[in-house]
Amino acid sequence: MRRFCFFLVLIVFISFGCKQRAVTQPESQPPAQKEAGKGPETVTEKKGGAGESITSKEMDGKTEGKEGMFADVHFDFDKYDIKDADKPTLKNIASWMTKNGSAKLMVEGHCDERGTNEYNLALGDRRAKAVKDYLVSLAVPSAKIETISYGEEKPLCKEQTEECWAKNRRGHFVVLGKAGK
Amino acid sequence: MKRILIGKRTPGGRLAARRTLQALLLAAMLIALSPFSAQGKVYIDITAPQAKMMPIAIYDFQGQGGKEISDVIRDDLIFTGLFMYIDKASYIEAASQPFNPSNWTPLGIEAVVKGTVSGDKKLTASVSLYDPFESKEILTKQYQSDKDLLRQLGHTIANDIYTALTGAPGIFRTRIVFVGERGGERDLYLMDWDGHRSRKLGLRAGVLLTPHWSADGSKLVYAAERGRQWNVYLLDFLQMSEKRVFTSRGVNMAGDFFPNGKAFAFSSSKDGTPDLYTFSLENNTARRLTSTHGIEVSPAVSPDGSRIAFVSDRGGTPQVYIMLSDGTEIRRLTFEGSYNTSPSWSPTGDRVVFASRRGGGKNQICIVKPDGSDLMQLTDQGNNEDPSFSPDGRYISFMSDRDRQKGIYLMRANGESQKRVTPRDLKAFGPRWSPQ
Repeated sequence: MRRFCFFLVLIVFISFGCKQRAVTQPESQPPAQKEAGKGPETVTEKKGGAGESITSKEMDGKTEGKEGMFADVHFDFDKYDIKDADKPTLKNIASWMTKNGSAKLMVEGHCDERGTNEYNLALGDRRAKAVKDYLVSLAVPSAKIETISYGEEKPLCKEQTEECWAKNRRGHFVVLGKAGK
Repeated sequence: MKRILIGKRTPGGRLAARRTLQALLLAAMLIALSPFSAQGKVYIDITAPQAKMMPIAIYDFQGQGGKEISDVIRDDLIFTGLFMYIDKASYIEAASQPFNPSNWTPLGIEAVVKGTVSGDKKLTASVSLYDPFESKEILTKQYQSDKDLLRQLGHTIANDIYTALTGAPGIFRTRIVFVGERGGERDLYLMDWDGHRSRKLGLRAGVLLTPHWSADGSKLVYAAERGRQWNVYLLDFLQMSEKRVFTSRGVNMAGDFFPNGKAFAFSSSKDGTPDLYTFSLENNTARRLTSTHGIEVSPAVSPDGSRIAFVSDRGGTPQVYIMLSDGTEIRRLTFEGSYNTSPSWSPTGDRVVFASRRGGGKNQICIVKPDGSDLMQLTDQGNNEDPSFSPDGRYISFMSDRDRQKGIYLMRANGESQKRVTPRDLKAFGPRWSPQ
């Protein structure tokens, strides 16, 4: 048995001999990574890296509509519920919409700059829809109201103050189509 | 190795023999597993938490454009934090003299880079990297490029030097795409990772959101508002074309591609409130993943495609959650603070980086393990948003307004070495680092 173990040790030793040599004799490490035979590497520009540009087929379309007919409504920070103070404004808009049957209304939802872009766009979407829902509850047909969110991307006021941020957290109204002209 | 030698000398008795055998097998396994055995020596172990900086000498390459090329290499290597650049004033050897280890070992310099450039319009650069302590050439290679691709040439050489010393691929030829605004006009911009060669792509829109790369780097998916409508677009760099792939009422915001590039995750309020969907580019259909009454945005697909990190206000405040890619097994990831958004995965999926509102009401970049442990705040000046990792996971790009104007910044993944890479007259945000 002892002899058998001896042999086994010997066999294992021999079979790993190559590896052992490579490690115990660092001077025999592989030579530098010569790329001989391959020739020089050609360095080229990556796609889209040079002067090429992509002209989008859809450019930023002109947006028509009349602004300033109705006052903005405002929201608390990170909130999208309609404030009592703004309900008279919305009732006023609802009755105007009822009188002007052909009019279409765009409700824009805006946020202050403190949040991050994507969450603010979602928040602006909720704000615009909260305004729409309130107007629909006042009997304005849903089909007459469009909504869009601009998140924090189109601030009304650009200073970093609470007063300014409060102005930017708003629902803004644009009258579309004939009635808006 | 010592174990083998000892084992050979003491084979007394059955027990000793067995121990010897065990030791031998263990040693053999260690050798087989060792990074040293397969691809030569690894000079810098980049997986070590605090690797020692390697002193490196980089000569100005001789010939036309040589200095510019070595400046690019120097800046690339310094930014990694793995190298200590030794100033040229202390080089004893003239550039033209042959490499002599004894000129370097007394100074403790562990790597020396020399090179020459020849040619006029077509340049040929020859580069050698030496190890003074083992008196050998680690790398020698020739490169060809057009004269106006000096920076790309420098980055390519820096990649090879980095790989020769660390065994890992370099990121020096990667690029960063971001949203830029100048004079009220917004566009997507593409720049080299170090901020050089920045240019507009020509994709005007009212509002543009963070673009996301496909894993092969050939496509971008992004959302844009054009004519009061939020659409999702696909930009194909191979065909240099833009295509609208999704539109609906409400807000549509593209998230990450899945690893195969045939589908992406996005957020849409088309059915009411902003929810998460996947969109298949093969059959042009959207499949819903979440349905809550709240907000669900910013889906970030894990590198293996199995999970999605996202932002939801289902708990009352915006927080980061993780779910399986089919929308099941939703669990909350962030608990500190009341506003955690913009998640993005590290390339190995071992970390999630995100923006967290901290003391003073400012957003800061934080990283956390996907199980919620090891939360670390990496920034503390100004507002810092839109974080994402470099393809090797060693760096993070993000937006910061610390210098008033929003700009793109880079830092190491541990928060060190934060620097702005976009010019001060350009409002820049939403950066995304390209794949290799």
